[in-house]
Amino acid sequence: MRKRVRIALTGNPNVGKTTLFNALTGSRQHVGNWPGVTVEKKTGRINRNGYDIEIVDLPGTYSLTAYSADEIVARDFILEEKPDVVVQVVDATNLERNLYLTTQLAELGAPVVIALNMADAAEARGDAIDRERLSAFLEIPVVRTVGTRGDGIGDLLDAAIREVKTSPHHKHAVCYGAEVEAMIASLVDALAIDRALTARYPRRWLAVKLLEGDENVLARVREGPASIHVQNLLSSIDVDGYEASMADKRYEAIAAILPQVHRTDTRGATFSDMVDRVVTNRYLGIPIFLALMWGAFELTFTVATPFMTVIDTLVAWLAGFATGSIEPAWLGSLIGDGIVSGVGAVLIFLPNIFILFLILAILEDSGYLARAAFIMDRPLHALGLPGKAFIPMLIGFGCNVPAIMATRSIEGEKDRLIAILVNPFMSCSARLPVYVLFAGAFFEARAGGVIFFLYVLGIVVAVVSAKLFRSTILRGESSPFIMEMPPYRLPTATTSLRHMWSRGSLYLRKAGTVILFGAMIVWLLASLPYGVEYGSEGSLAGSIGHLVEPLVAPLGFDWKVAVALIFGFLAKEVVVGSLGVLYGTGEESLSGALFADPNLSAATALALMVFALLYMPCVATLGVIRKETGSWRWTGFAIAYGLAVAWLLAFAVGHLAPVFTGGV
Amino acid sequence: MGGVYPLAFLVAGTEATIADIRGGREMRVRLSGMGLCPEARVTIRSANQGSVIVAVGDARYALSRGIAAKILIRETQETV
Repeated sequence: MRKRVRIALTGNPNVGKTTLFNALTGSRQHVGNWPGVTVEKKTGRINRNGYDIEIVDLPGTYSLTAYSADEIVARDFILEEKPDVVVQVVDATNLERNLYLTTQLAELGAPVVIALNMADAAEARGDAIDRERLSAFLEIPVVRTVGTRGDGIGDLLDAAIREVKTSPHHKHAVCYGAEVEAMIASLVDALAIDRALTARYPRRWLAVKLLEGDENVLARVREGPASIHVQNLLSSIDVDGYEASMADKRYEAIAAILPQVHRTDTRGATFSDMVDRVVTNRYLGIPIFLALMWGAFELTFTVATPFMTVIDTLVAWLAGFATGSIEPAWLGSLIGDGIVSGVGAVLIFLPNIFILFLILAILEDSGYLARAAFIMDRPLHALGLPGKAFIPMLIGFGCNVPAIMATRSIEGEKDRLIAILVNPFMSCSARLPVYVLFAGAFFEARAGGVIFFLYVLGIVVAVVSAKLFRSTILRGESSPFIMEMPPYRLPTATTSLRHMWSRGSLYLRKAGTVILFGAMIVWLLASLPYGVEYGSEGSLAGSIGHLVEPLVAPLGFDWKVAVALIFGFLAKEVVVGSLGVLYGTGEESLSGALFADPNLSAATALALMVFALLYMPCVATLGVIRKETGSWRWTGFAIAYGLAVAWLLAFAVGHLAPVFTGGV
Repeated sequence: MGGVYPLAFLVAGTEATIADIRGGREMRVRLSGMGLCPEARVTIRSANQGSVIVAVGDARYALSRGIAAKILIRETQETV
């Protein structure tokens, strides 16, 4: 029978856990050069020497005391699931800080193996680490790995398997000095009566965590029989002083080992430091950021244009061909008017989407993303958002679903809730087709400016909403900013292109599933009841549209737009897909058909774009809001608030626009 | 000099030793995990109206003014 082994990958943020996980399991989990990429545990399987090994990749954490949702995931897995071996991935270029977590894992009595990762980078700059001596001092196996090349993964697995077979496990404790140790001893005695707790965790570890004020451990002790005695002990001492000296002793213990195992040159300012002097400069920081954003925007639209024209022509030809030549006629209509026009209307924007994701990948891989969060902390803080919320906001330009997941690294609960609620206003890639279609049809030369306005509007609505929530339903200060700045890395073409593909291909898959499904439903509704003129007011689609029309009539939307908006709830691209189906354009392009519709003016088009940007989040986004807030109330709030804001702003824009555009 | 200042007052290039960290225990335990604890040697890499990028060993942390004001340091050496 095969023996099963479960290995957890833990370590500080941005040390390469997921890169190593991908190398170990052959997975393609998303990686990036900023702390907080992984916010949920990911599992993979592999066989080696007759062992069935399950590998669990955890979010990064600096210690076993957790402060944010992603750190809680990591801590709970190690404490509660008790994996057979904990592989701590250590950044070889930053040994001291990384070993702090090692001391905590050792105190917990967890079987640990160290993967000395990024060993190539450490060696390249002249560091020499004596792994055998390090291993002997720590009583922990140390394996050299380079995750990006897959070096050392076989050795790592072998060391982990050996560690499972080794029992009992060694106890390597930091000595905290006479005074603290006396207190630890008293707490250890006091805890003895709480059998349930001490059966699960080492008493010394519990005592240390109590002295550090770990809320999680404190709460568990309070539930048990040792509660009163422990609280009396804790109230008898100056806990603050203890905790400071304990951290000090841990680093002292590390500092005692390091010079014996680690040779390194003293280093001055690095390349990254020099870049940061410019990029985070008081006067240059924000202008540089804005210039980069403008450049990204320009690239997304200008580079894509020729590709779009090609796809557009192809789709129109194919739709016309299918409708005209496929027998029976209803099948031709389903394929031509329904599938090709609906899905094709969305596929036209594939070039924009891929370029957008490439830019986001470059931002993530270069290390600039963390700087952008830092630069924006000050202006955002004034509006009640922590700077850390800025990373999810930028990711939201791609898709709100991973963006809302990324809010897990935000520490304060209210901060995180606000960041989740405002994220859907960040204009995701699914809304881009709506803009390009309508801006192109009605604004021609000014299309670029109109689209830029919509992106800015999304950001403005997000920050104004944050300010509003902060001063009404979610009062309080946003938490102060602290984030590790990863070293800058030149993104390689292969990794950035791969990231682009992995996210962009989701869009393609969506086109083949949700959007295809939406297009077919709309086609069916537009064709029934039998014998009705396709896409006319007498069809089922017309009836549904007319039902909702009174609600959106003040915005200038007719029944076709109403139907498109209803189905846009599935995914916002479906707004475009549905219109493609309803207008059943044949060889004429959809934008031409829209322009020719007497019910649509430039002002209505603008109102429609504003509405599509802001109205309720799509199904997938609502799902992730529900999951991350754990509350239907907040999910319902996100829908109601989005609809209200969208309606009001679309109304305002629709009525004000003619004033500016001279009554177009 | 020998005085004790908030980290937020320092200019880029200054080397210093952390003397004390004010503020709640939770914040201090958290900073300890990142290597920011008393007696740690830090270098200011970039300073901007109180918010700083600080080097501790080979790690770089960006801190907003709110935190940088709570970390008290002793200057050890002035470069630049």
